[in-house]
Amino acid sequence: MISVKKVDNRTLNFLERIYIWEIARGIAVTSRHFFINLFNPKKIMTVQYPEEKLALPASALLRTRHRLKVRADGSPKCVACFMCQTACPAFCIKIESAEYPDNSVEKYPAVFDIDLSRCVMCGMCVEACPEDAISMDTGEIPGAAVTRSALLLTKEDLLRNLPGEPSVLGAANALANEYLRSRGEE
Amino acid sequence: MMELIEANKDMLLFTAAAGVKVLAFLGAIMGFAGLLTLAERKVSALMQDRIGPNRASVLGFTLNGLFHPLADAIKMIFKEDFVPARAEKLLFTLAPMFALVPVLALFAVIPFGDYVMVFGYQLDLQIADVPLGIFFVLALSGLAIYGVFLAGWASKNNFALLGAMRGAAQMVSYEVVLGLTMVGLLMIYGSGSLQDMVRAQGKLLFDFIPAWGIVLQPFAFVLFLTAAIAENKRTPFDLVEGESEIIGYFMEYSSMRFAAFMFAEFVEIILVAMLASTLFFGGWQVPYLYDTGFIFPGGGALELDHYLVAALQVGSIIAKTIFFSWFLLVVRWTLPRFRFDQLMSLCWKGLLPLALLNILVTGAAMLLLGKI
Repeated sequence: MISVKKVDNRTLNFLERIYIWEIARGIAVTSRHFFINLFNPKKIMTVQYPEEKLALPASALLRTRHRLKVRADGSPKCVACFMCQTACPAFCIKIESAEYPDNSVEKYPAVFDIDLSRCVMCGMCVEACPEDAISMDTGEIPGAAVTRSALLLTKEDLLRNLPGEPSVLGAANALANEYLRSRGEE
Repeated sequence: MMELIEANKDMLLFTAAAGVKVLAFLGAIMGFAGLLTLAERKVSALMQDRIGPNRASVLGFTLNGLFHPLADAIKMIFKEDFVPARAEKLLFTLAPMFALVPVLALFAVIPFGDYVMVFGYQLDLQIADVPLGIFFVLALSGLAIYGVFLAGWASKNNFALLGAMRGAAQMVSYEVVLGLTMVGLLMIYGSGSLQDMVRAQGKLLFDFIPAWGIVLQPFAFVLFLTAAIAENKRTPFDLVEGESEIIGYFMEYSSMRFAAFMFAEFVEIILVAMLASTLFFGGWQVPYLYDTGFIFPGGGALELDHYLVAALQVGSIIAKTIFFSWFLLVVRWTLPRFRFDQLMSLCWKGLLPLALLNILVTGAAMLLLGKI
C-alpha cells in the first residue's frame, strides 16, 4: 500500500513572488554567518587534521591500523594459517610461513605484509583470525603517503606493541627475538 | 630637441600623467582582482562555517592563505596549453583577449577621485573623461559578448557552442536592461560623463540628504545590480558556464587562456562594484565633504588640507568598491541558479518593463517638479 503524503503547496504571497525581499532575507542569513565567523574564527568547527586531532571514540568496534599481538614470551601469536589472507576482500595481506626448528606443532609468519594502500579497513582479518593474533586497536588512522612503499606495513611494523599490551619483547622465544633483533640492526 | 620638448610641453605632460594613471589604476585593479580570487573562496568558506584555503606557504609563512592567488597563478602558467586539433586557432587565441581587454578598457572612464594638485598642475583622477562615458561603458560591455561567443565557436565543440549560445542570448538580453536603467540617471544628471555624474551627486537634497543616485533612483539601482550580475555571468545567472553540471563556453580552454576568462570574471566584479558605486553611491563623494573640508548641514565645518580631501575621496571609492565586491560574492554564494526560461522571462517580462516604467516615472516626476 503506497502511502500518499499531501503537500500543502500554498501559493506564494506577493512579497515572495517579487523575490527581492526573500533574497534580502537569504543574504541576511549568509552574511550573519560570514560576520560571526569573521570575528570569531576560533568558533569554526573545522579540525585542521594532520596538525589537530580529535580523540577517537572509545569503542570496541573502532577499526584503526592493524597490529600483530605477541605472546608473553614475545613470539607472535600468529601461526601463519592464512585465514586472514583468505578472508581479505582487498587482497592486501601477504603471508609467508616458516617453521620453528624445535616446535613441530605450529608455524610462524616469516613475512606478514599488509598493504595499507589497498586495505579497506573492513576488519574481516580480525574476524577470521582463530588465534586472536591480529587486531585493529592501535588508534592510528592510516593517512596519505607520497610513495606506495610508505603504506606497506611489514611484520615488524605490525609487531610494534601499542596501546593495550605492554611490550614484552626480549622474553623466551629465541627465533622471534632473533628475527626482531636482526631487523633492528639493519 | 629642447625647443621641441618646450613646444610640446603640455602634450608630453599629459601623456606622462595619463601613463602614470593607467599604470597605477590598472595595477591596483589587477592586484585587487587577484585578491578577489582568494576572497571568493574565503568569503564562501566563512559563510558556510569553514576556514577556507590556508595552506599555501612561502618560507613557512601562510598568512592565513594570502599566497593562494600566487600559487594559482604559478599552477596556471605551468599547465599544458592545449588547443583542440580541429579548433579555429586564430579565433581560439583571440577569444580570451576579447573577454579580458574590453573589461579592462572600461576602467578608463571610471573616476576614482576628483583632482589633485601636483607641482601646481591639476591632475584629474580619471584616465579619460569621455563626454558620453556611459555609452562607452555600454559599448565595451557589449564587446565582451564576442569573447564568449568566439570561445564557444572556435572550440569546435558542440557543448561549448551551446554554452556560448546561452551566453550570447543572456548577455544581449540583459544589455538592454542595463542600458535602460542608466537612462533615468542620464535624465536626472543631464550628462553622459561619469565624472559629471559623480560631481552632481555631491549636491544635497533638502540641505541634508546627499543627492546620491540611490536616493533619486532606488528602483533603478535594484534593476541595475540584477542586470549587471547577469552581464557578469555569475550565480544566480551563471548558466553560461555552469561549471558544476552543464558545460560552458570555455570548456576546451586550459592554462593561461582559461585563466584569462576567470580573471576577466573577477575584473568584471570590480567593474560592476565600481559602476554601482559611481552611478548610485556617489563615486568618490564623501557626504558633506567639499574641496575645502567638511561642511555639515547643522552649520559645523571642518577645514581640511587639499591632499587629505583627495585621499579621503579616493579612500571613499575604494571602500565602496570593496563593499560591493563583497556584496557580489555574498550574492553569488547565497542564491541558487535560475533555469534558462526563468532567466529569459525575468529579463524580458520582468526587468525590461520595469526599467521602461522607471524612465516614464522619472520623466513624469521631472516634469512635475519643473526640472526640465
